[in-house]
Formats: sequence, C-alpha cells, structure tokens
Amino acid sequence: MNSKLTPRFLIIALVLTWAVWAIWPTIQYQRLSEAEKETLREEGKLEILESRTIKQGLDLKGGMYIVLEVDLPTLVENLAINKDAKLQAALSSVRDQLLISPEADFFALFSNISNDNNLKLSRYYYDFGSSNEVILTALGEESEDAINRVLEILQNRIDQFGVAEPTIQKQGNQRIIVELAGVQDSDRARSLLESTALLEFFIVKDITTTNELMVKIDQTLRGNKDISSIVKDDSADTKTSIEKDDGTVSVSELFGESSTENNTDSSSVTPSIVAEQPFSSLLRNLGSTIGVPAKNSYALRKMLELPEVKEKLAAVGGKFVFSNKAQDYPTVDGDVESVYSLFLLEDQAELTGGVVEEAKANLGPQGTTSAGQPIVNLSMNSDGARKWSIVTGSNVGRQVAIVLDNKVHMAPNIREKISGGGTLIEGFANIDEAKDIAIVLRAGALPAPVDIIEERVVGPSLGAESVKRGTQSVIIGLIIVLIFMLIYYRVSGSIADFALIWNIVLVLAVLASLQATLTLPGIAGLILTVGMSIDANVIIFERIREELRKGKTPRAAVDGGYNRALTTIIDANVTTLIAALVLWQFGTGPIKGFATVLFWGILISMFTAIFVTRTIFNSFTSGKNLNKLSI
Amino acid sequence: MRIIKDTNIDFMQQRKLAFIISVVVILSGVISLLVNGGPKLSIDFKGGTLVSVQYNEDMDIMAVRSAMGKLSVDGQDFDFSREEIKHFGDLGAVLIRVPHIDDSPQNFAQKIVDHLYNSFPGMVPEDKSDFILGKGTVSPKIGSELSGKAIMAIISALGLILLYISIRFEFRFALGAIAALTHDVFVTLGLFSLLGYEISLPIIAAFLTIVGYSLNDTIVIFDRIRENIKSSKKESYNTIVNRSVNESLSRTIVTSLTTFLVVFILWFFGGEVIHNFALAMMIGVIVGTYSSIYIASPIVIQLHENSIK
Repeated sequence: MNSKLTPRFLIIALVLTWAVWAIWPTIQYQRLSEAEKETLREEGKLEILESRTIKQGLDLKGGMYIVLEVDLPTLVENLAINKDAKLQAALSSVRDQLLISPEADFFALFSNISNDNNLKLSRYYYDFGSSNEVILTALGEESEDAINRVLEILQNRIDQFGVAEPTIQKQGNQRIIVELAGVQDSDRARSLLESTALLEFFIVKDITTTNELMVKIDQTLRGNKDISSIVKDDSADTKTSIEKDDGTVSVSELFGESSTENNTDSSSVTPSIVAEQPFSSLLRNLGSTIGVPAKNSYALRKMLELPEVKEKLAAVGGKFVFSNKAQDYPTVDGDVESVYSLFLLEDQAELTGGVVEEAKANLGPQGTTSAGQPIVNLSMNSDGARKWSIVTGSNVGRQVAIVLDNKVHMAPNIREKISGGGTLIEGFANIDEAKDIAIVLRAGALPAPVDIIEERVVGPSLGAESVKRGTQSVIIGLIIVLIFMLIYYRVSGSIADFALIWNIVLVLAVLASLQATLTLPGIAGLILTVGMSIDANVIIFERIREELRKGKTPRAAVDGGYNRALTTIIDANVTTLIAALVLWQFGTGPIKGFATVLFWGILISMFTAIFVTRTIFNSFTSGKNLNKLSI
Repeated sequence: MRIIKDTNIDFMQQRKLAFIISVVVILSGVISLLVNGGPKLSIDFKGGTLVSVQYNEDMDIMAVRSAMGKLSVDGQDFDFSREEIKHFGDLGAVLIRVPHIDDSPQNFAQKIVDHLYNSFPGMVPEDKSDFILGKGTVSPKIGSELSGKAIMAIISALGLILLYISIRFEFRFALGAIAALTHDVFVTLGLFSLLGYEISLPIIAAFLTIVGYSLNDTIVIFDRIRENIKSSKKESYNTIVNRSVNESLSRTIVTSLTTFLVVFILWFFGGEVIHNFALAMMIGVIVGTYSSIYIASPIVIQLHENSIK
C-alpha cells in the first residue's frame, strides 16, 4: 500500500467506526423486547439508550399530533375591566377580519380598529397604561406571558396523564404543538388538552323566572323565518312534549307548575306546534329540570344564538347552559332517547375555579347519594372557602350549578351553609373522566381558551404497516441497485456498492446522533438517496471509461476521471442541497424529516463517492502495475 | 457492460417535435386544471376532515356512501354521500374526506368514525383502536397559511437555484434550467390533475425533490457543454451542445434508471400512504430526464443564437 494513502484510510476507518458507534444503540434498542425495555426502564437505563436512537415519527409509531391556538381576542376581552358593547363590537370585528385573513397579526388589527372607532383603550385597561400604544404593547406582553402559562399548564396536564415522550412546543406567538406518541384514546387526550378548566359556580334561576322567559322567547320567535331552516319537521313530535287534546303544549305544563302569565295564544288552534312555540316545543319535561332531546340540541343552540333571544336573556340577567352529557330517558312510545338538561343560570358566577386548592378523583363513599359513582373531591383555599360559605349560606334551598368549561356537571340544591370549602362534583361518565377533570383542575385553568386547529391521529396498525412496507422498499431497492451496479461496472461496481452501503449506514448514524425523527417521507428520502447517491459514482465511472477508451493507463484514467467528474458532482449536488434546505426551512413534521434525510444523504454521498471510492481505486492502481481495470 | 455505446443522436434536430409534445402535455394539464378549478387540494391546504377506517370484511363503497348520507350529530344532519369515499389499500379499508364545515360539532372526525363503526355492526373489529387507521382535521386557517408557505418555498428554491447557476455558469444556462424545472413541475401538476390525484403536503415535497433531481440531471449536461466549449472553439454551438448531450447520455440513462427503479419499488411496495408521493417522483424522474435533454439544452442554444444575432 502506498504510504500516501495511509492517512486517507485512517480517516475512512475513523468515520466508519464512528458510524457503527452512533448507530449501535438504535440496533440494540430495536432488538429489545417489551419486557427487557421495562427492566431497563426501572434501572433508569432506557432513557439513556433512547436518547441515542433514531426516533420514529408519529406516522410510523402511531399517535396524535395536535396544533392548539390560543384565542387571543377572548384573552384580551377577559383582561378588560369594564367590558361594554363598544369594546365587544371592536373585538368581534377583529375576529371577523381574522377569519378572512388568518395570517394577520391580532394586535395590529386591534390597534387599527381601535383607532378607527376612537376606542379609548384606557377605559378598559387603565392598569396597563394610558395611551393606546402603551396598552397594546402591554397587552402583547401579557398575551405572550399567557401563552407561556398555557404551555406550562398543558405540560403539567400531560405529565399527569402519563404518556411516554410527549413533545410540547410553542410555534409562533399563539400556537402550541403537542405530539403524543402511541396514544390510543385520542378522544380523552383531546378533551384533556382542550379543556380550559374554567370551574364556576352559578345560582340557578327559579322556575317562575324560567317559565316566563320561555314564554317570552316563544313569542319573540313566533313567525321567525330563520327558525324554519333550523328546526326539522320531526323535532316537536308527541314523544318530546306533553300535548293537550287540541294539539298544543303550554309551557306551564312542561314544568308541571302553573304559570302566572296567561298565554293567550295557547288556546288558538294552530296547525304546527313549532310555529306556535318554536322554543319550548323542542324541550321535554324531566320533572325538576328542562330536558333537551339530543336530536333537538343543535336547533336549540342555534336559537339561543339569535340576537332577539340574547336580548331576552340579557333582560332577565341569565344564560342557558347545557349539561355536560345526555342521559337516556324512555319516550312515550317505549323507545329510549338521550336527553340533555338545560339550566337557566344567573349570568354572573358566584365563585370561580381559581379558589381550588386540591382536586381528587374518587368513587363516591357508601351511604351517600353518589355511592359507587365517580366523583371529584375539591378543597378550596381559605378565601374560596369563605366566599363559598357566604354563597351557600345566603342561598339555602336554591339550586347551585357547578359549571366546568361552560357545561353544567351537576346542580344540587343547597341544603345548608357549607363551610370549610370541601365540595364534591359528580356527573362523570366513568372514573377516567373524573380523573382527567381532577387533573385539569389541579393544573389550573388556562388563562385563555384554546382551539384545536389541526389534529392528526395515526392508528397503531397503519403505523406498523408503514414501517413494514417502508423497510421492505428500502431493502428491495437497495438490493436491485447493488446488483445492477455489480453487473454494469463489475469490480468497480462492487466498490460503488461498498460505498452505497456505507452511505446508508452513515446517514442513519447522523440521524441517530442528531436525535432526528424518522418519518415515512424520511424513509422515502432514504430510498431516494440510494438512487441518487449512485449518480456520483456513475458520473465518475463513465468518465473513467471515456479516459480508458482514449487509451490511457488505468491509473491515469482513474485520476483523469475523478478530476473531471469532481466539478460536475459538486455543481449537481449543490442544487439538490438547495432544494433540500428550502424544504427543511418550510416544512413541518414529516416534510422536515424528508428534507433532513435528503440533505445528509447528498452530503454523505459526496463524501463516499469522492473520498472513499477514490481511496480504494488508488490503492488498486498504485500498488501493482495494473494494466486492466474492471469497469 | 454498456447499455449506451458511443452515440451521435441529433437531439437538437428533434427539439421542435419535443417542444410540440411538451406544449401538448402541459396544455392538456392546464386545461384539466382550469376545468377542475385549479389543482385538487388535500385537507392540508383546504381544511376539512379525513378519516380512514379498517373493516373486517370487504366493504361496498355504495353501502358506505348511503351510511354517510345520514349522519346526525345532536340533531345536526349531514349528507356526505357525495363526498370522496374510496378504498384505501385493501378492500376492507375505507377513506372518507369531508370538507370543512363552519359550525361542525366538536371532535367531528371522531363522530364520523363512531358513525362508521356503528353503521356496520358485525363487520368491525371489537377494539375501536384497531378500527381507526387514521383521522385528521385541519382548519382552513392552517390550510391557507400552508398554501402561502408552499408557494414561497417553491419560488425561493427556484430563485436560489437561478442565482447559483448564474454564478457557476452563465445566466442563459440558469434560464434554461429554470425553464426545464418549471416544465417538470407543470407536467407533473397537470398529470396529477388529469389522473384526479390530490396535491397534499408530501406531494409538494415530491415536487421540490423533482426540482432538485431534474436540476441535477440538467447540470451534468451543462457541465459537459461548458467543458466542451472551452476545449473546442471551432465547432458550432449547436454541435457542441449536441455532442455534450450524447457524451453524457450513458450517465443520464444509468442514473435515471436506478433512480426510477427505486421510486418504482417505493410506489409498488411502499404502501398506501406513500403511493402518490412515489407516483409524483416516478413522473418526475422521467420528465426530469427528458427536460434536461429537450428543454434545458435547446433553450441554451436558442438564447445563444439570439445573443449573436
């Protein structure tokens, strides 16, 4: 061997050793069984091993990917001190503009609209400053702070939920990306993330007020054209309401209590109950509460959003809130239908969740009404406990609704003053739900609501299938290319094959040491690398063949071939590198995985083609007097 | 072994015919795009919900359609029987795509999955997590942002490449290369539209890779042209370009063949998720090879001829 070549071989040997060292943990990890992983986890060694392996993306492993967006308009609205119609109008026009151009900056829009409408922000945000600019800057900082708090709270919730390797990261100034690998119950994880955990206690309005209000709403909506599009023909059938012989329903009967107001219209015979009582015909009497059959709930929610209905609600200072879940009730003709409960609450909360000190999920103790049912035990801080005792003390005999995320969980009657702040919430489907609610209550309420704007779930079977198919494709593709090169370029082909295999090993080694995530497009990138990295060798070999045809000696041909191919290879690869870099910069998740593999694949293929194969060729041609080159 | 012996094909003579072919292919693609109102965009760009589920038995798409015709969530009725509903891989797997709806119920994707699960009792796996292959919901908000980003990505990639080639070669080479790339992207886009395949995020990645690949091919030929111009001043520009294409033909064929083989394998074995990505790549490899010979090089000649006139 030529002594000049020794340093080159040394470099190659070092790189290859490094590659094996870098990729070894991944191989080791792949070969571990679940039981062995468990043992290592207990010893604390698994994490160290995992930190050195190539991670599988969600598309390969299965799991969920969620993008949450913090609702900035609502956050800013919540921060205002004296909310009025003018502010709300300004915020709602910001919301409308954001719907049209989602990329727009909220604060820029808010600033424009405030200036256009001469809105003095100091009226609502005097704590933050006096001029609009100062206030907007302060609100911007406040919102950034809020997002960081949201991030922390979500982190906290997920940690308690118990998922292996969750990733939570901030993207831009109002988004949070959450990746949960291997999560089977995406429903549960979703509600855990989305819950604002806003716990509020409201006093339920008395029945008389409720009845009067419903009569008024019916009167307002009578003959309203918008309603016919909302309400289906079968909404108000005999199953859901109690009918008089003449075919009409009176609200008072719905409640089993006589109404003070005499509904003059109830006696008039109309062909359709819906036209006569558009609102209350959708309801059903559940004894002590109003029921909304699930099939009517969409129509009812729509009605409650109508401005004229909102007006009536505002007049009595109340709001309608649905129960968190529907329950099954038998219908008149023997079927079962699921029915939500609807409560008319005072529009101001008596107490909010900030007072919660501890929340624990449990099964209800024996001997109580909630025996054996999942419950959440709350304890309040001293301030909360004091307020709670005042609220309960002054409202004995009335109903108090416990509202979480704008859904009524339960509305018990207050029997006596509760001091000490211990409270119990029931109304959960199962113990898991109670546990999740306890988690979100403990982690605290989000400072602003969040919306899920993107959700992707890959089932475990599809992920496993992708891994299988992907690996298969890589192996088959590799073998075909290896055989082709061997046939086409013979001994030289085997040198290229050697380089190609190392090429793949090196790419994987780089991915492992970067702790990169391998996605399905990443596997595709790996296959593409196989195809394209051969290109450098082909360019060189074709050049050498040309030189040989010109009658040069093998050694001169190899030198000439490499020298002339060098600029071509660099120029050609740099442009592909540009494409890979742009992809990496622009891409999210899977695309980034593809770009990473492509980028390193090209870089490494240049190294293997120019440096590794050249060194091998030189050792062939320099040592002995070679007069024929197998190419 | 050699597939291509020393050739002397007059590629530049065929360039008029090639131009006609390209124009016809691109035009039919453009017409298809116009008729369909632009490329068929996936939920990545448009927003909407995508659900794929696995039944135990082969499913009749018509049965799924009629089930999707009567979806009701809390009294809100939906008729999705005319939306995109198709098999996904094997005959037991079904994919459903639903457009974005402004006041759609909470967790809509799951509601659709539940409906599909309950509509065909006895044909579904007991464990629901085995039933869901995947689901996704994207709000149009994210979609429109992404469209902007994707266009920016393609434009900035083209811009940077133009710059690099202008520095390394001459400006007319850069124009030739960009023309070839634009040609490739349009042909692939048009073919996708003709075949009725949608443009998703991975397809954009495939497009950018095609750009990279086609460029690779073009530059190898350009490099040869540059070298031959230096070494022989006597020959006409046309002859030099033609000779360069012929000299690098062997390499072009071998590389395209190996790359095509691997993406073909990806297309064939890679599974449903990667299927269209591999298809775009397959088209890209063929078109990229063609364009470096018939689009990029002739344009360089044309620009040269224009400049000496």
